Order: sequence, then C-alpha cells, then structure tokens
Amino acid sequence: MAKIDADTKIDRALTEFAERLGADDPVAVVGGRTKWEVGGAPADGTRMVAAPTGIVSYLPSEMVAVVRAGTTITELQSALADAGQRSALPYWGNGSTVGGALAVGQNSLDVLGRGRLRASLLQVRYVSADGHIITGGGPTVKNVTGFDLPRLMVGSLGTLGSLAEVILRTNPIPDTMRWLRGQGIDPFAAFDALFRPSAVLWDGKTTWIKIEGHRVDVDAEQAALVRRVGPVEEVDGPPELPAHRWSLAPRELRHLDQPITDRPKTSNPTYPVGRYVASIGVGTVWASEPQPARSVSDAIRTVAARMKAEFDPTGRLNPGRDPYTTAGM
Amino acid sequence: MDLRLDPDDLNSCVQCGLCLPHCPTFRVTGEESKSPRGRIALMRAVQDEDAPITTEVVDAFATCVQCRGCEPACPSGVPYGHLMEQTRETLADAGVLTPKWQRLAFKPLASPTMLNVGSKALAIAQRARLVPKRLGISATVPLRQPSLDASGQDVHLFTGCIMDAWQRDIHLAVKRVVEAGGIGVMPTGDTAPCCGALHTHAGLTGESRRLADRMIDALDDGKPILVDSAGCGAAMKDYGHLLGTPEAEAFASRVYDIAEWLAGSDEDLPTAKPLDIRVAIQDPCHLRHVQRVHQATRTVLRPYVRELVELDDDGLCCGAGGAYSVLQPELAGQIRDRKLDVITATKPDVVVSANPGCSMYLSPELDRHGIETIHPMQLIDRALNGLG
Amino acid sequence: MVLNRVVEGAKRLVSPDRPTTSGDPLLDQLRGALTADRVHLDGVQRSLLSHDASVFEGGVAGPVCYPTSVDEVVAIMKIADEHGRAVVPRGAGTGLAGGAIPLGAPIVVAMTKMNRILDLDIDNRIVWVQPGVINLDLTRYLRPLGYHFAPDPSSQQVCTIGGNVANNSGGPHCLAYGVTNAHVVAIEAVVPSGDVLALGGLDAEPLGFDLRGIFVGSEGTLGIATKVAVTITKNPPSVRTLLLSFDSVRDAANTVSGVIAAGVVPAAMEVMDAKITAAVEHYVGAGYPLDAEAVLLAEVDGSEAGIDIDADRIADVGREHNATEVRFAKSEDERALLWKGRKTAFGAIAQIAPDYYLHDTVVPRSKLADVLEEVYAIAERHDLLVMNVFHAGDGNLHPLLIFDGREPGVLARVHAAGDEIISASLAAGGVLSGEHGIGVEKQKFMDDMFSHADLDHQNRLRRAFDPTCRANPGKVLPMGHSCADIQALRRVPSGVWG
Repeated sequence: MAKIDADTKIDRALTEFAERLGADDPVAVVGGRTKWEVGGAPADGTRMVAAPTGIVSYLPSEMVAVVRAGTTITELQSALADAGQRSALPYWGNGSTVGGALAVGQNSLDVLGRGRLRASLLQVRYVSADGHIITGGGPTVKNVTGFDLPRLMVGSLGTLGSLAEVILRTNPIPDTMRWLRGQGIDPFAAFDALFRPSAVLWDGKTTWIKIEGHRVDVDAEQAALVRRVGPVEEVDGPPELPAHRWSLAPRELRHLDQPITDRPKTSNPTYPVGRYVASIGVGTVWASEPQPARSVSDAIRTVAARMKAEFDPTGRLNPGRDPYTTAGM
Repeated sequence: MDLRLDPDDLNSCVQCGLCLPHCPTFRVTGEESKSPRGRIALMRAVQDEDAPITTEVVDAFATCVQCRGCEPACPSGVPYGHLMEQTRETLADAGVLTPKWQRLAFKPLASPTMLNVGSKALAIAQRARLVPKRLGISATVPLRQPSLDASGQDVHLFTGCIMDAWQRDIHLAVKRVVEAGGIGVMPTGDTAPCCGALHTHAGLTGESRRLADRMIDALDDGKPILVDSAGCGAAMKDYGHLLGTPEAEAFASRVYDIAEWLAGSDEDLPTAKPLDIRVAIQDPCHLRHVQRVHQATRTVLRPYVRELVELDDDGLCCGAGGAYSVLQPELAGQIRDRKLDVITATKPDVVVSANPGCSMYLSPELDRHGIETIHPMQLIDRALNGLG
Repeated sequence: MVLNRVVEGAKRLVSPDRPTTSGDPLLDQLRGALTADRVHLDGVQRSLLSHDASVFEGGVAGPVCYPTSVDEVVAIMKIADEHGRAVVPRGAGTGLAGGAIPLGAPIVVAMTKMNRILDLDIDNRIVWVQPGVINLDLTRYLRPLGYHFAPDPSSQQVCTIGGNVANNSGGPHCLAYGVTNAHVVAIEAVVPSGDVLALGGLDAEPLGFDLRGIFVGSEGTLGIATKVAVTITKNPPSVRTLLLSFDSVRDAANTVSGVIAAGVVPAAMEVMDAKITAAVEHYVGAGYPLDAEAVLLAEVDGSEAGIDIDADRIADVGREHNATEVRFAKSEDERALLWKGRKTAFGAIAQIAPDYYLHDTVVPRSKLADVLEEVYAIAERHDLLVMNVFHAGDGNLHPLLIFDGREPGVLARVHAAGDEIISASLAAGGVLSGEHGIGVEKQKFMDDMFSHADLDHQNRLRRAFDPTCRANPGKVLPMGHSCADIQALRRVPSGVWG
C-alpha cells in the first residue's frame, strides 16, 4: 500500500481531469448516477465528464485515505476494511462514487456510529469553473488553517467546483456490530437508554437498533436495552427503506405516529403520510412520498447566490441543479 | 506614575486570561477593565508607560473587591493581592483613592471607645428606621453586648473591631467550642483592637502597619492566636509581608483560622448528635483564596450536621468584600445576586460562612428564602450544647 | 465621589484618531442604538480591548460596544456600514493568534454581555446559547443532566462559545469527539450588511451549502454569531485515565501512533515533555513523575463492560514502546488533578521565564517523533529553551519557546525559531494551525501551504458574506488578497497608550 507522500504533488490524473473539464462550456461531473436526481437533473446540453479514479494512498495508522473522486465507494470501503477501518460514506450500492456521495452530502444510515459525512472530509481538491486545481483544507485530522473550503464543497452538488481528489478521515471498525429488532418498544426510550447507539430506526411499530463496540459492551448495552424498554431479537440488518429522504429535527419524529390532525401545524404537510422509517436522534426519515419544498430565507438566498457567483460566475458548473431544492431526494 | 510595584511581580502575568471567570466583577460586567488581567495591564500602563490616571483607571482599581479569587486560578502565581494593595496605597498617598471623608470612617475601627459609641448610635438609629438602605448596612446592630471573659491562658481569641461590637455572640460560641476541647481562651479585647485589613484594602497601609505593630506588641507571649473572621485572619497572616520584619513573620506563623486550628489540634472535640440540617458552605474568599484553609471548615463541621453541600461556583466572591458593599453597592449587589442563586439552588437549611462580613451581607437576603446564615462555630456550639 | 476625580496627566489622554467627541455622529448613533453605558471611547476600554492573550500588537480599538441582543448587533453592523468602519468581534480574549486584536481603529464588539444559556432542547440533543457563554459554564450547567459540551480547549474555564465557533476550537477530547465544527448545528449570525442569517438547522441534513460549516472557524471575518445551537454529548458511563512514563519523547510519540494503529481511538492522548511536566507539577502537584523524559496522558471512555479492554491495549502498546511506568488514575480526584495539570500547562510557564511563545502546528501522527526531534534541534540552534506539550493523538504540536523578553535580541531568535518550526511541520506534510487559527500570526505562512489560486478561492468564500471587507478585516488571508490589504488603507492611530 502506498505511503502518504508528505510533499503531495498534484498528479497527472488531476491535471487531465481539469483539461477535460475545460473552462468554457457547461459541464457536470458524473459518478455512479445513484443520486442523479437530487437537486434536479442537469440541464440539457451539459457535457458529462467522469472524475479520476483510484486510491492514491492510505495509511491506517494515520486514519486518513487519499482518494480520487471517481473511485467507487465499494472499492474504497473494501480497501479500508482490509485494514480494519471504514469511513463515514453512505453505502448506495455498486457504482456510487466517493465524489458523488460528497457532492450530495447525505449521511450514512448509521451516522451516529460512523459520524457525519461533512466532518470526515479533511482536504479537497477540485477544479474551479475557470479550470484551476484548487486545494482546500489539509491532510491532518485537525486543521484550522484558513477558510473551510472542504465544508463548502460537501452537499454543494458540484455547483461550486468539480471534485477531483479528497482526503477522508477513517475510523476503526468496531469488534462487534449487532442489529436488534423490537416490536412495539418505545424507540425514543431505546435511544435514551443506550450510551452510543449507531442507529435507532423506527417505522411507527417496529424499532431496529444498531449497537457497536467490544463484544462485552454490546452485550451489556443489549441487556440494558431489554431491561429499560422491552424484549428485542437479533436480526441481520436494517429494514427496507422507502425511496424518499426527508430531513426533520429529531424532536419532530415524536409526532410521526400521531394522527395527522394531532400533529403540530407548520408549513405545508410537514410529516409523511405513507410508509416511513425514521432515524431516531438524527431526524432523517425515509418515506414513500417526497418531502415538500422547504423554505429558504431571502438572506440565505442572497449569500448563496453570491457564493455561486464568486465560484462560478458564468454558471457553467452543473447547470440545472440546485442545492436549495428537495427535488429528487 | 510610579505605582511602586515590583517589576518582576508585574511581569509575571502572561495575559492568558484564566483568571477572568474567577473575578466577581468580570463575571457580572463582562468587561476587561473589571478583570484581574485588565487591571494588571492598567498597572503596567500607569507604571511603565506613564499612562494618565483617568476616572476610568481609578474606577478599574476601585471596583476590585480584593477577594483574590484570581490568585489560585493563576498558573503563573501572580501576587495580584499585593499588587492591588500597593497600587491602592500609592494612589491613596497621592490623594486619588480613598478621600478624606472616607478615611474618617476608618478611624473608629482602631478605637474601641469610638466604635462602641458609634455602634450604639447606629443601633438606635436602626431601630428608629433612620438608616438609609443605600448605606448598605444590612445587619442589625445589637444595642447591648454580653461580656466576653478569659477562661484560661492557652490560646488567644482575636476579637477585632466591628465584629466584637456587632457580632459578639459569634466570639462567645467560638469560645465555648474551644473550651469544650479543654482549652483556656484569652479574648484579645481592647489590647489588639483591629487587624487593619480594611485599611489595607483602602490603601491606608500606613495605618495598617501601626495597627499590626500594636498587635504584635500586645500579643507577644508566643501563644496561638485564633481568628474567627477570615478577613482578619488573612490580614494577620500577611503581617510578615506588611511589615517585612522577622518579628512579624514569627507573629504571622502563630495566627490560625479557628477551624484550621481545631482541625489541626490533637485534642478532639466532644462528639454530639448531628444537627438534622442540610448545610451549604460558603467559603469566605480570604479563607479559601488567601489563607487556603477552607477544607478545615468541612473537616471540623462534618460530624455535627446531617449533610454538607458545596456551592457550584468555584468559591466566587459574595460581594461583601469588607467595606466594598458600602463603597460599590451596585456591583456588590449584582455579585451577591449570583451568589444567592447558587446558594438557593442547593436548597440548604443553613448557610455557614466563616467571615462576619459575608454573613452580614448575605443574611438579610437569605432570610427571605428561609435560609439561616451562621458562623460554622455557632453550629458546632449548637450541636455540643444540645440546641439543635 | 472618588470615581469622578481625574488627576494628574488627565489632559494627556490623547484623543482617538476618528470619532473624537461625543458629538461624533458614529458615537451618537451607537449610543442611541445601544445605551450610553455600553458604548465606550475612553483610553482604558480602547487599550485593553486592543489585546488578546497573544503577543501581537495591531491598531487600537475604536469605539467599544457591548451589545446585549441581536438587534443591537444588527444596529452596530448597519452603523458601521454607513460610516465605512470595520467591526471586530471579541469573546474572552484568550486567542493566541491575534484574531481578536483590532487593526486600524475598528469598532470592537465585545460579546461578553451576551452570556445567557437560552434553551435546552434535550429531544434535539442541543442547547441554544448566546456567544458570550463560557465553555465550562455550559458543561457545568449540563453536568447534572448527564451531558456536556465536548470541545474542551485548555482555556475552557474562560473562553466563550462564540470564540470557540470563531476558531473552531479543539481540546484534548476532540480526538474522539471532534472539534467545534462537529458540535455546532445552527448559528444565528449577523453579516456585515446587517442581515440576520439562520445558518444550518436542527434538522438532520439542512438544505443547501453548508454555510454553518464555513462560518465555524472563520475567525470573525464572515460576521458575528449572536446565537448558537450546540450539540450536547452524553457523559460517558465510565472513564479510565492512564499516565504512561517514558525515557524519551520518541517512545511516547511512537506509542501514540501505535495505539491508533492497534485500532483504539482513545478519547484523548496528550504528551508532555520533562521540562513542562516539572513546571506543571510545581503548580498543581498532581503526582506527575519528575524523572520521566515524557509522559503520555491517555483517556478512554465508554460503557463499563468493555472499557478496560481499550485501557489495557494502550498500556500494552506503551510497554512495547518501553514505558517505564503505567499508572491508572484511581479516583475521580486523581483524574481531575492530572487534567488540571495538563490544561494549565501554558500558564505555568511564567514560573520559568517571564515570556513564552506558544506554537500550534499539526503533523501526521507517524511524523511526530521526527518533527519533535527537529523542534528540539531548532531551539538549540537558536539558544532557546523549548518545551513540548501537545495533543499527540491528533498530531497537534504545541512547542513553547521560553525566553525573557528583556534579553536584547531574543525576540528575533524566537521568531526565527518559530518560522523554522512551522517550516519543519509543513515539510512533514502538516498544516499551519490545529486549533489556534491564523489570525495575524500565520498569515505570512499561508503562501507556504496554499497556492495563490487556493487563497483566491478562500477569499471568494469570504467575499460572499462580506463583500465590503467590514468584518475583522486584515486577518487570516495574507497580503495580496482583498480584505487583507485593508489595514494598509487605514492609518493606525498613534498615541493611545496600551
């Protein structure tokens, strides 16, 4: 396995990527197309370019991996797993890419265990609208050197720059990972009863819980769970998730199983009406229908528009896609 | 202006700011000029850069309670208390701090006769409701005092000035507690009328030195000197620094806070049935931050009460600060409000404070919450004498 | 009364360069928007608020404002905009990179009076606080409820949440828990136009650009936070704290890499060398060994059942790397004392020499031992005393150069040595700052880490919030990038002492 090169040069794969992107016409970087509709489809006439691929370096004792944006999540996770580690990237099946996941910015199902995706990006290299390769952040796990371009790139759908290469923080895979399932138990009490659950999912009737750690920890947590909220059984994994992703505050999930008429009246129908699976303590809900548009203040729109104008004055990066819509989620 | 501060002491501050939250005036104002770091920076500006002494500079110094809560918090060991005392002395000498009318008020402290007459007058005035509230005198001054006589020659009990005139019942309780351990007590009475702490705080250090000299002469028998007022004890333990003589050092080493002495004594106090109360401990600043013997209060008191609770504020000042609550009533009141919140949060039956100034300042407010304020020795006295 | 007396030399209190008297419209407007007693123009306030905990000298604070509400901050921003004045926000003033010092004569906005804990929201696992709340006060408030605020910088007993947000503060326990950015979910911020932005949100994945994320760590250059929602973290059911002693700093550093390589991510791993251990021990008396060349303070937390597995693994790795002693803290008191020692390390330095310069760089963990050896060599070449205390688990170095500023020529040596330490860290694949920020301290090194185009993009990010360079201008980015040049346009007033 390659060592981290202290004096990382920008390699040929990146310069070739920049050349392919050019500096003039509308372009979009295409990954595995697993989340292609998020934020709206690219405008007609947009030229598609694939990001460079491959793991550049990975040193487990540093807990960082340098990886090109076009690398599939599968490839990266399996390389990490060989060394007993993992990343915060979500698993979206074959073909989904590291760069695509970062551009979309959605967390993994077990975000409580793996950490938020946005926090795992240490350094980013992207190609700017005018064709420069820009580096933001740094290769170390802790870094406050200058403005935080990596954070800006996560979830920006490639509209501010085209992701080329990233450095991600990795973490050890716990010794034991266990999914439990309980019928009719209180998911909120379950969440409170556990010290550090990796996921607590709930569909209104059944609760799925992921606990990780040393075997003795997991056993003890499971015992505490049974004592505090009721019986659970071990299962293979989480339930099948409905297609659409909602983003709510954790507190709002308490209203999900109430009759619609009892729920707080806020803007639009704020709560899903069909089948759902909610991530307790997180607020993500997978539902059978899409989340209605969320309101965005004028002040935020002003800053966002200025940001776009600063980074992509001609609007050539991923035209048609808007990070401020819930379309395609 | 040369403040006559030791340059090494002044330079020992590295501006880290760790003192800020331990300063009561910074806590209530959020202003750097009301913090130890800010005040030290101003001392430097005045002494090293000849900065003018403006109203604001004087205000920064005058608003310091001199609780010295910053000192234990300071990893660099800046002798802030001494720096502030010297600054005030220099400014008082120059006529900037503590004007004549205020100096007059310090006079009676050293004169038992004047103090007695004054206290009687005050007591009568209080009963006639003639004392304006803004004077900040919150305690009710007694009209008549029981007598306080010697019971042996083992230890001195320093009785002091205002405390003897206003709170002699505390001395009596202390005396009974010490006697319960088979020790004979000599109250100092008029032989050593005042420790000079309030004078030092006001920058009237010359007067403090005269008082210290007088006390060292009066109590030259080598016997331990017990003090039941934390502020007085701190001042007397500092006589070595104040006078700079070997005699003063020797004298200072004989001074003990009453709880400190009891905790370190070979003679055990008698046991008694613990009082069925929940007691919050309010550490006087000059016991905790200056003498740093506040743990002794707990050691000595613990057997005599059901429950001791700590205040969750790192021993922040209560705002009394000797004459501070009279000179800076507004800031003192804000500081006291913080302390009251912390005390009431612990839901005690009784608050103990080993400094009469703190008790007098807190008790009228705590009374309204149904919480009694009392000297720790009075509680022990109560337990020993079956008055619980 | 005494406070109204102004004596000798009062006439020498020079008038500030710009708003001079109470007749100045800027001052009148500020006093009208706040109250007269919370807008200051006297020499005391101006000189004291021209400094933080760093050694850097900048300009002098213009008017000093102490707002108490978001509306007042909005008013200050709008008045500043109208008068073309810069605004510098400030917390407790514990920054070490000069991020809060004024350049020129800006309006200084001290946030220390906005210090209320607003709304505890256990369901959402957050608490809304005003920016002037002290970090440790928040944890103290949360403690009885079984929670804490995870970032714990060494200055936590005094630094404010607003300051933590501005600097993306870390601390020993960020190794496992992450830095401030990971613990801030939403910010109410006033940008230089006077607009109030709601950045981030309490929902799982707020829509759009992560403006919250870029505001954290922006050192006051994007606006002023007026309200922050921070996550509350459950207190661990159990904690084990270990103290390992070593005969060499290299062994300690290698142990740190070894622990991570063994698949353990402790809550914290801190190393102190012999000299700083001695200084700390003298101050705290925590029982640190005085005969070791380096000590490693490691902590693991979690549920009681498995906690000893990780603790024992750390002990084993330490022994493999020649630890001369492995000690477990036996009580909460002993643990608290060990941490008190670690957290007051910097202040304790004054016992050794009157001045110190604290550096802050990060290197890859595997390079720790090499870079440390270089740091000692650099100090020796410049005839300076160096002590090392660092967040070893993160590779975050904090070399302290100890000196006596009264010695002629010593400052030049201190700066030269500092420059070399930074170069050595960058050469090892590290970064300029792990938690102190860039401020004015490290601007000149930004070009060593980033290209001109990289910095141009950082400046674009900034401009989207602050197109007219009003918010803490002259910080972070080096000269040659728009807002960095603003101090050159503004005459630094002379004569205000301090």
